[in-house]
Amino acid sequence: MKALQIKRNVAKFGAARILGAVSPSGSTKIGPLEHRTIDDPECPGDGWHRVRTRLAGICGSDLSLVGGHASTYFDDWVSFPFVPGHEVVGELTDGESAGTRVVLEPVLGHAARGIELPFDGASPADGDDYAHLAVTSAQGVEPAIQTGFCCSTGGGWAPWFWAHESQLHRIDDEMPDERAVLVEPFAGGIHAALLAAPALSGVDEPVVAVLGAGTMGLAAVAGLRRYVPGVRIIVGARYPHQRALAEALGADVAVAASGLDRAVRREVACHMIGNGESGALSSGAHVTIDAVGSSASIADCLRFTRPRGRIVLLGMPSRVDLDMTGLWHREIELKGAYTYGTETLHDGTSTTTFQLAIDTVNAVEAERLLSATYLLDDHVDAIGHAANAGRRGAVKIAFDLRDSA
Amino acid sequence: MSARTTRQYIRRAQRPDGSGRSIQIAQRAAGSVEDALRGAATPLAKYGFPYRKPSAPKSVVVPRRPSELGDAYETEWARRPFARAVRGAIIDGPMRLAVRVVASPTVSGLDRLTDLLRTEKGAAPAPVIFAPNHHSHIDTGVMIRSIPAPWRTELVVAAAADYFFDAKWKASLSALALNAIPIDRDATSRATFDRLRDVIADGNSLIIYPEGGRSPDGWGQDFKGGAAYLSMRTGAPIIPVHLDGTGEIFGKGAKKLSPGRTTVLFGTPLTAGDGENTRRFNERIEAAVGRLGDETLTDWWTASLNAGTGRSPKLSGPDANGWRRQWSLGEKRRLSTAGIRRRRARRWPDLG
Amino acid sequence: MPRPGFVLDVDRSTPPTLFWRGEGFSLERLPADRSRIIYPPEPQKGLDNLDAHIRDALLNPLDMDPLPELLTPGMKLTICFDDASLSLPKMQRPDNRQRIIEAVLDMAAEKGVDDVHIIAALGLHRRMHEYELRHVLGDRIVDAFMPKGFLYQHDAEDPDNLAVIGHTDEGEILEINKRAADSDLVVYANVNQVAMDGGWKSLTTGLASYKCLSVHHNPESLQNTRSLMDRHHSALHKSIWRMGKLLRDSGPKVFQVETTINTEAFPSNFSFLAKREWEWTAKDRALFLASSKGLNKLPNRTKRKIFHSIEAPYRTTSVQAGFTESVHEKTLENVYSQHLVEVEGQTDILTMGIPFISPYNPESIMNPILVMCMGLGYLFNMYRGKPLVKEGGVVIMTHPTYEEFHPVHHPSYIDFFDEVLADTTDPAVMSTKWEKKYAEDEWYRHLYRTSYAYHGVHPFYAWYWGAHGQQHAGKVIIVGGYAPAVRKLGFTPASTMNDALEIASDTVGRSPTISHLHVPGVLVADVK
Repeated sequence: MKALQIKRNVAKFGAARILGAVSPSGSTKIGPLEHRTIDDPECPGDGWHRVRTRLAGICGSDLSLVGGHASTYFDDWVSFPFVPGHEVVGELTDGESAGTRVVLEPVLGHAARGIELPFDGASPADGDDYAHLAVTSAQGVEPAIQTGFCCSTGGGWAPWFWAHESQLHRIDDEMPDERAVLVEPFAGGIHAALLAAPALSGVDEPVVAVLGAGTMGLAAVAGLRRYVPGVRIIVGARYPHQRALAEALGADVAVAASGLDRAVRREVACHMIGNGESGALSSGAHVTIDAVGSSASIADCLRFTRPRGRIVLLGMPSRVDLDMTGLWHREIELKGAYTYGTETLHDGTSTTTFQLAIDTVNAVEAERLLSATYLLDDHVDAIGHAANAGRRGAVKIAFDLRDSA
Repeated sequence: MSARTTRQYIRRAQRPDGSGRSIQIAQRAAGSVEDALRGAATPLAKYGFPYRKPSAPKSVVVPRRPSELGDAYETEWARRPFARAVRGAIIDGPMRLAVRVVASPTVSGLDRLTDLLRTEKGAAPAPVIFAPNHHSHIDTGVMIRSIPAPWRTELVVAAAADYFFDAKWKASLSALALNAIPIDRDATSRATFDRLRDVIADGNSLIIYPEGGRSPDGWGQDFKGGAAYLSMRTGAPIIPVHLDGTGEIFGKGAKKLSPGRTTVLFGTPLTAGDGENTRRFNERIEAAVGRLGDETLTDWWTASLNAGTGRSPKLSGPDANGWRRQWSLGEKRRLSTAGIRRRRARRWPDLG
Repeated sequence: MPRPGFVLDVDRSTPPTLFWRGEGFSLERLPADRSRIIYPPEPQKGLDNLDAHIRDALLNPLDMDPLPELLTPGMKLTICFDDASLSLPKMQRPDNRQRIIEAVLDMAAEKGVDDVHIIAALGLHRRMHEYELRHVLGDRIVDAFMPKGFLYQHDAEDPDNLAVIGHTDEGEILEINKRAADSDLVVYANVNQVAMDGGWKSLTTGLASYKCLSVHHNPESLQNTRSLMDRHHSALHKSIWRMGKLLRDSGPKVFQVETTINTEAFPSNFSFLAKREWEWTAKDRALFLASSKGLNKLPNRTKRKIFHSIEAPYRTTSVQAGFTESVHEKTLENVYSQHLVEVEGQTDILTMGIPFISPYNPESIMNPILVMCMGLGYLFNMYRGKPLVKEGGVVIMTHPTYEEFHPVHHPSYIDFFDEVLADTTDPAVMSTKWEKKYAEDEWYRHLYRTSYAYHGVHPFYAWYWGAHGQQHAGKVIIVGGYAPAVRKLGFTPASTMNDALEIASDTVGRSPTISHLHVPGVLVADVK
């Protein structure tokens, strides 16, 4: 089949990265991502289903891979060559369930590798030993954190791929594909929102600042509004349409990203010590969710997060250059937020992040975040659009494979 | 695909002695170059459209320009006089040298073709279709050099559209150096067939690999019917050819060339019999190439006996999966010319 | 299959849009989410074997006998044709008029018609240079008829060669070329580029006298011409159709031949002009950059030379012949099918790029008055229904508006600019106060009759052409225009599009809606 594939080609990664500085579209063209005929992946074993892709989103982590920016940390946690794409809505093709639409929970967890679950009813991403992600048994799938980084399963940027039973969430007929494709990013955002919750327990009038309002930031806003009661949400976003969407999804205040520190100060009525980029708030937001993940954004979060508060890193930070004095001095907790799993809500009930995400996208009609779809053939344009989503007034870009049966 | 290779429990790259560092070093280097460039390129950022490609408004559908690559690539230019002259120079110069150095082919069975080559004085021989087995990219070079000169000058190679014609430079190079014509190996399109038929009608001979692709594991694959169909429609006879040893020199997935010896064995020309359908004819071609393979490993009489009693080893190897398949491949290799591969200096492990 | 025109809503992904700027172009970014760009339909497919189609039309005319049956030996046959103001840019040879006239002459020769005159129907336009005649008619016709004086140009100021046909019901005088009036048959060879042309307008303006033209070429009727491209809502055309009725009843027999052309106005080295910006290939972008950068370096004179040497690869989309009214209905149908784009509602601002050419400066200079005429007269009138811009809205044009005039072609324009515009820009005022003086000036009359000058009154007509637009728009801004000249036209100069939008905000508020007419490619917006 013809699919987009990334090979472990050091020269291409380097070239993409270097050319990216001058011409982003040129970088995509010569980069490691190629549209080519690939060998069909074999069925990895029992419990695996062939899933025909309907829509597959382009995620920030995909962009950094395509642009050659991905951290080498993951070098041993992925298996080349792989077909990217982990934000997928597809349909089953085999047996009587053919045509059933599913959303993929991409993590290749214990069940997918035939390993005992860490606890009963665990989600794929649960557990505190990642060995199963990186090593593989004789008949299992190759090392990979997720579908979309694995050479054995294929990924969403292809007409079809393999998914394990444990990765599939069947969806209702009423849910449009355009909404369903946002379930995975929403799950990520909601997970981050719920990671904020412990730091807010017992606080009167908790304030959460969200920096960045791309798909993930907006999802975090929606998650905070729905699952963390009584919180005031202050969003800093660069583009007007992002601010409008943040407010529509439940933010109390949405301001320009550069004005987020002052917006937080107004909210908590504290002092601002120093000026501009060196200024820090004497107090600040109880929790800050950083949905950008750059050196500058983390540095900003350190300035306006309350001492002994928490920063949830939702955007993948990769290599950063950071003055950590503020972290040390303010005794701030830096919390990573990678995927999803089993969540415990404020009322003590326990459920999976994906179930929450499915509820949330339905409640907020998340399809409004899907700005454009492209065919695989046009992947250079699609990547270009996704990389400039904010500037071009877009949020989420996806590949549409519904016609490529 | 049949056999699945077993995986090591921990991959080499993950072992402490693995070469995983290279990508880290490369990335760090690329990162610093990028930073420097990004600084230097900052003024360029203000040059948008028309210096760069425009983005399309959301509300419009950009008409898809029909692709000029892949199946649709027009190779007509490569058969004009100038391109032919350049190709002649390539084939007789660098290619000849490269084939000799890398593959040192031993060509036999040419006597079976003399009848076809016997023509009126000065006239070109009638076009034929060569149907060799396929192990390696170097197969085409070896074939071109092994085919008798009268056909060689008018030789066209059917090459996978999705591999050789997927980028402009690849397509031009394939068309120029090999006189390649794109063929869609997944779905045989009408256009592809018509193009090949026209080319044969113009007096060109054709190399087509009926397996449709290089061997993934050293054993052959089932023949596709394209060659048989083409022969039946054009009347050009099929010449079965068996190539041995090229897979060991540069097989599919190989990173390095390991020069060695090869054998090229031409078989008796075949034409479809009366009332024979494409499928039957195709099976006959596959059997003929298989028998040539047997002949390469043993001798003509043994191969004939095997063929007569239906004991010819199948080109596609044993039906068994897993290690037995690899094991019997070793047996085959031991018999073949690839066994007399030039020895390479043994590399001792770097003990650091 | 050519794609129809459409209205693009500008979003943040929309690349900057092409604007003409006289002898050059610029790319301007229009504000996202409240601007729309009206793209013309792509050029229709032309007729193959045009000569056969012309012959066929002559032999099977609409509501008239076939042409050969109208031809008799000893008859007086007059053939008239549109002057150099059509087509713009000039079409590649052979011109449609040459093809039509040659076909007509072939038939006339077969029937033994001896008395044939060929007249350029130029109204008050300048006389055509010989090389223009040769371009339009071809060498065969010019060489055969001109030396003997049977090919000549209409003279609206020659009292001996004008004849009054009569007066319409509303008292309008119809006075046309005497030879045509006395003919047994007048054949009119037309090229129809826009819906304004053709029909009765061909003869009743092309061969008319000043007295006759001034009946409808005046501020009052042009202010009530809504629009020039919509015959049924144009006071000008209503007057002309009344004259047509008179001509039919008491004038010579007229056999009208009309051809419609598509919008393929530029040869391949300017191909990017007609493409939609997001479809520009690397080659298009390189051509654009090379030509716009290169042109910027050249003096105006050289630029004009380059642009006026363009010959358009127009293809003819239809030919119809016969009774003028029937022919013109069919012509309009074909013209509209090429030009019409459906547009929903009006906007606060209308933007347009003014090209290097207008109907009144073929092989000549686009002077400031013609910039006004092109913008408010022609492009503004490219609508049917209601104007693209709301009443009191802002029209923004892009053009350098240099103060340059062609001394031979436009002598009265220079004085009009200096004298009349210094006094008033109101068409009604200038028509009562100044028009007569210019119309009857002996020197201008002499230049019109003997040299290659537009008639003395022509700058007034050019100005009246924009009367409706001038009245409708609350403000007109010219981006990149030479400030003193722009101010003299009564408009506001702006240096960039952003400045212009900023200036416009005084009139239409902070976030006005914007329509942009994407030219080249002619379109008529059917505003609902």
